[in-house]
Amino acid sequence: MTRGALLRFGLLLAAIVALPLAVRPVVASEIWIFAIAGMALNLIFGYTGMLSFGQATFFGLAAYTAGLMMIHWHAPLLVVLAAGTVVGALAAAAIGYVCIQRVGTYFIMLTFGFNQMFFFIAYKWTAVTGGDDGLPGIPRPPLALGPLAIRLDSSLRYYVFVAAVFLLAFYAMKRIVDSPLGVIFQSIRENPGRAAAVGYDVKRYKWIAFTIAGGFTGFAGVLYSMMFGIVPLESISWIISGDIVFMVLIGGIGNLYGPLLGAAAFKWLSEAISVVWERWPLILGVALVLVVLFLRGGLVEAFRRLRDALGPRARPEPGAKLPVGIAAETEAGS
Amino acid sequence: MNTSLLAGAVLNGMVTGMLYALMGVGLSLILGLLNIPNFAHGVLYALGAYVMISGAKAFGFLGGLLAAIVAVAMLGAAIEYFGVRRLYRVHPDYILLLSFGLSLILTESIILVWGPVGITFQPPALLTGAVDLGVTAYPKYRLVVMVVTTVLVLGCYLFVTRTRYGAIIRAGIEDKEMAAALGINIRRVFTLTFAAGTGLAGLGGALMSPVRGLLPTMGIDILPFAFVVVVLGGLGSLPGAILAGLLVGVVQSLMTAIWAPGADASVFALMTLGIIARPQGLLGQR
Repeated sequence: MTRGALLRFGLLLAAIVALPLAVRPVVASEIWIFAIAGMALNLIFGYTGMLSFGQATFFGLAAYTAGLMMIHWHAPLLVVLAAGTVVGALAAAAIGYVCIQRVGTYFIMLTFGFNQMFFFIAYKWTAVTGGDDGLPGIPRPPLALGPLAIRLDSSLRYYVFVAAVFLLAFYAMKRIVDSPLGVIFQSIRENPGRAAAVGYDVKRYKWIAFTIAGGFTGFAGVLYSMMFGIVPLESISWIISGDIVFMVLIGGIGNLYGPLLGAAAFKWLSEAISVVWERWPLILGVALVLVVLFLRGGLVEAFRRLRDALGPRARPEPGAKLPVGIAAETEAGS
Repeated sequence: MNTSLLAGAVLNGMVTGMLYALMGVGLSLILGLLNIPNFAHGVLYALGAYVMISGAKAFGFLGGLLAAIVAVAMLGAAIEYFGVRRLYRVHPDYILLLSFGLSLILTESIILVWGPVGITFQPPALLTGAVDLGVTAYPKYRLVVMVVTTVLVLGCYLFVTRTRYGAIIRAGIEDKEMAAALGINIRRVFTLTFAAGTGLAGLGGALMSPVRGLLPTMGIDILPFAFVVVVLGGLGSLPGAILAGLLVGVVQSLMTAIWAPGADASVFALMTLGIIARPQGLLGQR
């Protein structure tokens, strides 16, 4: 690890410890849960160049699966986490197979369309999902590690658990991004034609990226279902899909820490503003428009600009990758 | 199911189908020319409906329709001129995100101005009541909507295929740089096409407001179906959008009559089958 990477990781650990002191533990848990979903979208959007507007499909499907398993079968914690991840990945494999047949705009519209399809099913299939009222009564089983059963009944205990599994997910994502597979993903983002020309099966790798992201998103969905003891209908709606896109964008695309910053800023802001003003999505919309027009690199870019403005010693770190904005600023469509 | 119900369902499907076609034609033109999926298309449809009810109070029914199309088209032109235009040199995904942000802003603004609860709106007295069509009695206003939207959609098709300005739009879809090199002010074409496409959405919302009522989320509810119509019909293909619009509308309406919970999902199943069978869309060229 370079000095910069160590510093960033140290800051992340410090943030994990400090966060429940700054905001309610429930909000702090939500931040890391959505950071996982944001990392997943970042893998396909920031690293592979496919903007999915339907990540709530996998988030919600996994949340409902986990909720139903815990309500009806009293399934243990680690089992539902695994099941939700598998459901998210399988759903992403099936839906992704259709979506990756098209690129660019069509891809986005397809992911959005499928999201709405599952939303309508969840909305209408009230016997199973509870429809508009959500799926209530989800228990939060203890974490069973061999003979040891750790209760997660307080929101602070649950926060510690969420933070721990978040770190595992973050590590896994870092390994994926840094692996040869991750480099192939980035080559597809930069130039799909050239990636194909050097012999990579572009569609296959896009499919792999989409499936992996679906697994991570499902994992986040399970954590979400246990947080309030209810799966709200919203968890499978385009609102959550949009929120995830928003977090990744506001944080910074194609950077491992971007979605983390974005999730923290988004959840903290929405918590703070929603208390004051019920129409807070209006402010969200304004912020999104401003970011798109003036700060396309997100918060990561803002920090970089701030650092460049403050210190003259703005030199690239040894071994640092090229600056990653999506697909550079080219006119080439995805 | 008896014939009367079946005929009613098919007619309902055709009314919604032509609305989808109207939305799809606008989206398809914008998508073909500007290469962006206009996420704000749904909320502009909703805005058209809300401007309609306020306009109708002041200027009567036709005045309301006119107010809706003018207001929404002008807003569309402003969105293109002040927002989208700045992003043409950047990746198209950012334009989508811009339109998503605008969609949030406009939805919340509608709630601030007109309130969060649903509103019902009556068609003019002349058009209330039903007509006996032999197989079934059908509301007069819906038939009028069907005729008006059909005329509009066909008018768009003829405009794009038969007029000089339509030829410019088609040239822009085919090759923007070449069109610009031939002395066409392509930027102005972009702005006008965006205004026309969004204006059609606003008019669609205004026309449908007596049929479906008004709700702040009505735009985002209809948007996925308009997307399906564009994907299923084929990029930039207006006949494709019309065919897909009718297909989606009728399938949705029939499924509502047969098994309501699966009605909306069936539309997306249809799209999936369409994509697998014909990736370029029903009548798409590429």
